[in-house]
Formats: sequence, C-alpha cells, structure tokens
Amino acid sequence: DALLGCHRSYRSRPTHGIGKFKYLLPKEVPKKRKEKVQMKEISAGTEYQYGDVNIQMTSYDLCLVERFAQYVHRLCNRLSIQVNESYAMPTKTSEVLFLEERGSKMQLDAVLTSHQRIVQIRGLSSTFAPILLEVIQSNQPEGLHLLVKQHTEADFKSRLKSRPELEELLAQMS
Amino acid sequence: SCSSWLPQRVPLRCSHWQSSLLEVRTSPPVRAQPKKKKKVDVKKEQAQKERMKKKLKKLEKAAPELIPIEDFIAPLKYSESNRVRSLPALSPEESERRVLLLKKWCLFKQKQDEAEKKAIKALVESQQEALKELRLEGEELYQAAIRRDEGLFPFERDGPSYTPPLPGYDPPEGKCIDVTKVYTQ
Repeated sequence: DALLGCHRSYRSRPTHGIGKFKYLLPKEVPKKRKEKVQMKEISAGTEYQYGDVNIQMTSYDLCLVERFAQYVHRLCNRLSIQVNESYAMPTKTSEVLFLEERGSKMQLDAVLTSHQRIVQIRGLSSTFAPILLEVIQSNQPEGLHLLVKQHTEADFKSRLKSRPELEELLAQMS
Repeated sequence: SCSSWLPQRVPLRCSHWQSSLLEVRTSPPVRAQPKKKKKVDVKKEQAQKERMKKKLKKLEKAAPELIPIEDFIAPLKYSESNRVRSLPALSPEESERRVLLLKKWCLFKQKQDEAEKKAIKALVESQQEALKELRLEGEELYQAAIRRDEGLFPFERDGPSYTPPLPGYDPPEGKCIDVTKVYTQ
C-alpha cells in the first residue's frame, strides 16, 4: 500500500506530469449557498451625525418612482454620502370603487398599484441634511410622495413574510 | 307534581344522588372507576410540550424570507407571444433631426446639472461662512447649531400637482379596497 501511495515524478524527465488531466476539465464553480436574510446593525448616529436614514418614495407610476430613486442614489454617490441599501418595498394593489349616481351598486373604477422605493443612507451630517432635503424637494416630480425617516427594526420586519404558524406556537408556549 | 301530596314535615330530596332523606351527603358520589393517577397526566403534558418545542425549533431554524416584489417579475403573457413590432424606416433627414435634438437635450440637461452642482456648492459655502461667523460670536451658539435636529425626521412631503384643486368639486362616494396578495412562510 505504501508503494502504491507514493507519486514520484522526476521533474527533469519528459514524462513529468504525464498522468495529469484535471487541467483539461472545465472549472467547477463552487455551489452558491443561499444567503440568510439577516438584519444589518442599525446605527444610531452621533450628536453631529444622523444614523440610518430611509428616503421612501411612493407613487402610482412605476417608471417615475424608479427613475427618481436612481436619481437620489446617484446624487448621494456624488455628494459622497454612504448608501447602505437601495431596495423596493412590495407593491400594494388596491381597487377603487365608486357609487353610481342613480343606483346603489358600487362600480369598479380602477385597479391602482402603489410602488415604493427606499434609499438607505448613513452618516448624514447635521449641517448637510437640510441642504440634501432642499435639493431632493426641488427635484420632486408630480405624483411622488416623499418620506424621510429614521430606519427601525420594524421597517426591516415589514419586508419579511409573515409566519402565522410560528406566531401561533409562540403564543401557545407563553 | 309529587310535592303536592307529601306532608310538609318530610324534607324533599335536593338531588337524585341523595338516596336517603334524613342524611346529608358530605362528598360527591364515588364513580365506578378509580380516579386516574396524576403521573400519567404530567407525562403526557411533558411529551406535548417537548413536541411543541421541537416544532418551534424547526420553524425557527428556517430563515425568514423577503416578500417577492411583483414589479420585478415580468408576467408570462409578455414572454409567450412571438410578435415583433415592425417600425417604418427613417428617412435620413428625420434621423438627422433626431440626433440634433438629442444633442440639444443633452446640452440642456448638462447645463441644468451644472447649475444644480453650483447651487449646492454655493449653499455649502455660505453655510460654512455663517457657522464661522457664529463661532466668532460665541462658542456655545456654534455648538448648539452644529447639533443634529431631532425634529427633522420624519419628514413628509407630497409631490406638486399639475393643476390646483377645483373649487366646489363634489367627488362621488366610493371606497378603496386593499387587494394586495399576502405571502406567508
């Protein structure tokens, strides 16, 4: 067994590395493991700097809200403000019904989809914050609702799917 | 009905368990089977609790998932059909006009962007100058001005509207129903 185990190849001889074949096979990409969705630490910020701030843009028009989110992201990059994340919140669909003039039945008027994009920034200095808000406000398009607030754990939890079974079990246990 | 002809001195039976009329029952009647011992109950409860704990561990092990965003999922009907749009060929004058228009638009947007950058720079400079002057006035005032404003967030603003609201407009009555799909894990 020891004799079979040794792989002696004389480097000077022309037969060196004669049995190698792995270099001929295609490269194996390592299997991508599913990354667990974990909440990043929320920084509270110092006295002269704000912590994690969420700029939420909501609108019924998808293209508008996407373009404006891109603009805000690029603006923050240009002004060297650290952008943590730039993500989308789930779309909300709502049916608008109205009452006919002569009749008691509610008629379907339209099905509206509300889209929301969030740009999360960190380390906004207290002196620069009003300037940034001013710039964003002046470029705010029609029909876009802007909301700037601090990032909280509840905001992160609202992105996750609800688990009724887990909650039921927890309620039963306690 | 039997109470009508019984003499008043004989007491009535309170319940059907009270077989003799003169004695009073001190304890509830003994059932046929002896009472189940408490150990079996406790074991069953413990087994149930352990099962629940195991279930809880299993559920907690699964990582929470993000709600899928419908905006990024293209509906299948747009990828099924193979129809291709056939556009008419552009004349050279038309394409020339379009290119020149694009160039003019690029220049306009560049001027707009530069003006914005200049404005931001001017704002920052004037702010720094004002803070410098304030520092000379008093160190305390400067420190108080540098501090972050707690009342700034949350900041909410609706976008401007194309037209002002119509005076005296009576909207029809109606309601909004939220029909968003609820995802559960």
